[in-house]
Amino acid sequence: MRTSPLFPGLPLLLMGWAAPLCAADKAAPKLDPGLPYVYTQWEQITTKDGLPNDHIFAVKADKECVWIGTEDGLARYDKKTRKIRSWREKDGLPWRVVTAIEVDARTGDVWLGLFGGGLARFSAGRFDHYTQLNSGLVNDVVYAVAIEGDHVWCATTAGASRYDTKTDKWDIFTEKNAPMEEIWNYNVSARDGKVHLAVWGSGILEFDVKTENWKVYLDPDGEMEIDLYRDDGNVHVITTGASYVEKVLWVSSYFGCARYDGRHWRGYFDHDCGLPSNFNNNLKARSGQEAWFCSDKGLGACMDAATCTWVTYTSDGNKHSGKAVIKRENEVIEVVDTGYSVPHNFQISVDFDGNDVWAGTSKGVGHGIGQGYYPRLRASGAITAQAK
Amino acid sequence: MKTPLRFPLLPGIVRLRVGAALGLLAGAILAAAAADQAAAPALSPEDQALLKRIDTGYYGKPQIPLKTNLNYASSSADVEPYGGVKPYKEHFLVQMEYAGSGRGIPEPERVDTVKIGFLGPIMPTVSVATGGKSHNEEALGIAMLQAIRMAIEEANARGGYHKRGIPFELCVRNDNALWGASGSEVIHLAYKDNVWAIIGGIDGANTHIAIRVALKIEIPWMTPGDLDPTYIETNIPWVMRCIGDDRQLNYLLVDYAMRKLDCKRPAIIRSSNRYGRFGVREIRDSCRRLGRPSVIEMAYKGGAQAFDMQLDRIAEYKPDVIFHWGNGDDAARVLNAIRARGWKQPFLTCDRAVSDDFVKIAGPNAEGVICGYPWNPDRQDPKLEAFREGFKKRYGALPDTYAAHAYDGANMLLWAIQTAGLNRAKIRDVLAYRTEPFQGVTGQIPLSSAMDDVGEVFLAIREKGKWIYRSREDLGIPRGKVIEKPRVEREQASAK
Repeated sequence: MRTSPLFPGLPLLLMGWAAPLCAADKAAPKLDPGLPYVYTQWEQITTKDGLPNDHIFAVKADKECVWIGTEDGLARYDKKTRKIRSWREKDGLPWRVVTAIEVDARTGDVWLGLFGGGLARFSAGRFDHYTQLNSGLVNDVVYAVAIEGDHVWCATTAGASRYDTKTDKWDIFTEKNAPMEEIWNYNVSARDGKVHLAVWGSGILEFDVKTENWKVYLDPDGEMEIDLYRDDGNVHVITTGASYVEKVLWVSSYFGCARYDGRHWRGYFDHDCGLPSNFNNNLKARSGQEAWFCSDKGLGACMDAATCTWVTYTSDGNKHSGKAVIKRENEVIEVVDTGYSVPHNFQISVDFDGNDVWAGTSKGVGHGIGQGYYPRLRASGAITAQAK
Repeated sequence: MKTPLRFPLLPGIVRLRVGAALGLLAGAILAAAAADQAAAPALSPEDQALLKRIDTGYYGKPQIPLKTNLNYASSSADVEPYGGVKPYKEHFLVQMEYAGSGRGIPEPERVDTVKIGFLGPIMPTVSVATGGKSHNEEALGIAMLQAIRMAIEEANARGGYHKRGIPFELCVRNDNALWGASGSEVIHLAYKDNVWAIIGGIDGANTHIAIRVALKIEIPWMTPGDLDPTYIETNIPWVMRCIGDDRQLNYLLVDYAMRKLDCKRPAIIRSSNRYGRFGVREIRDSCRRLGRPSVIEMAYKGGAQAFDMQLDRIAEYKPDVIFHWGNGDDAARVLNAIRARGWKQPFLTCDRAVSDDFVKIAGPNAEGVICGYPWNPDRQDPKLEAFREGFKKRYGALPDTYAAHAYDGANMLLWAIQTAGLNRAKIRDVLAYRTEPFQGVTGQIPLSSAMDDVGEVFLAIREKGKWIYRSREDLGIPRGKVIEKPRVEREQASAK
């Protein structure tokens, strides 16, 4: 494991930009309304450290450990000892490609979405295997898993499945009983009484757990080749992820991203904000103001939606260097030398772990250590003082 | 002197593979014959330069200009969506990049054969999507498979994979029409067969599922048979198409009906599956945008024998032209039902009607039918003639459009593998960054920024018991003004 060579172990890592901030602070109030937190201490975890494979499809923080799903095996990273234990097919893992991981906070069971191998529950060292032949799983190509109460939801390539772990009952959702124009489910998330499905060709479907009613968020212009207006709704009907926090829905797609606060939509594109690219594999929201987007050209964090303030993390794996670009709308506010950050710019998954952030990439896992993390923005003077 | 070597693939329908033993034997023969072989064809200076630029390792990105189109799909201004408004964002004009780490994966040290995957409908199955038998596309899938098999055999006769003197091998999976099964088949091809690229796809729904999997796995995917416009509108940098799509066929058919024949009351009848639903999308939209909206659109279930309900409704609207989208046999039955009522309107339909099934079922009613067609099989081209002759010799029948395009698609992949070597990302790159059109048996295949075949499409017209292929130019079909400038940069599309 390697930590950032520039800032090893610093308590609050603003040094790279503290000096420019001081100057800027004196010069003009242009930094107002403040600056976001920037992760400047990172470690990279790869096969050299014991991962079974570097192509990371899923990361899930879970108390003392982080679960990592790869193209060839499952890994458990112990945060205290920094040791990795891994499972491949020879170790009982039902299928090599682990595309999704969720942990049931009540039971500690780890649920694994297997790409072409169905669903697995890893509990007390045992893998239970659910497939379309031995259960109600609608399809074995599982893209994402979510826990909602007693239910495990699976987004599969041919519909969604809901498994009741108490009654052992399965429900299948397809075009026959849900408003899916197409059934190509790509992602599922569950929180605060809602389940959100990101579906290729059907936008975002919202399932209300209490009423079991569906709500659909499509691209209002209905056209594949354009987005007519930026803020009129979902930016495209092909979506890749949804994350719902504090009654705010964040959406990712291969055509840009979006945020919906229940009243207003806001579209995000790479030319009008800090989103590194319009091609986004996934996302995760930390709050109604903060969401992280896994693009093919870097990790983009909208740190304050109200002011459209972003931090974009990119790295150069050859030089082991990296930077964070702070943007407000499409104006660059500051460029911060972070040292080597995300191990690769092709981002596939992201998760939060208290103040820390974990990023699964095309070539290893990045761990951003969030010592001194603060949400949204702080006045630059306060940041400088804290850095000192 | 080059000694031709042949490695005929084992016959079979469900799974066609050169077995490991045969692969080893073939490899041994090739190795032994290597000294006697002519040197592998040298790469062009352009290809050599390209290879250097894509050799970026795990972290780099090729510094190569991306293909850029100024107008998506050469759409004329009067049929562009929301023509009176500048859209905030236009997609598909700039080529998608692949920015992952795949270029750094080293070539495997030992391989006995170079595997290419085929996924297509070659067996009938029960389909949830259609509520019964699958989409009746097996004949098309088998035609594709035969042509691809032929291309592989020819490549092996030329020495197989030149860099190692080993044969190519075709791994075949059935594109089961049960929704979702195609995803598992791609996973099988990628992780168990370890293929380097995949060719196939006819049914739009199955192919969509398959390419979503291909994106995650990161494997090049070529379709010679799925004409669904949305196939490449998914923004996946791994998928490409070597056949003109339904959008282009729609535009030509609408221009013929509206701008040339001056029809004013179009009706649409189509199959209820995804092929029918998406096949007429640009017909419906273009007619509306030209101010002559479809007066009615009716759907029928694939394989239906009676269309009274649909035609009774259509009759109420007195259409002066009828567009149809569905399989060839369905087209014939719909046509027969229309003519049985004494209706004389022009019947415009899709390429699937250019089939023996259609002609047989439609009988004399076939006369005058007009089909959109993705190429001109009457084109005089020695390459095409050689392919026809070879195909007939090999299979005892002439190749159809799916076979011809599959042959081209397979040769594109073979060229890419020979050029790039055994690395999926680089195989994708050499296809994506190639600037010259491919010279196929179906004609020139130029790939757009969205990696779609934007070559010319044609009309097939049934005249005196034969299909005659006509270009837009041949028939003097007018078209709207195509403005070669992105919409976000120009005045409103409705500007004169």
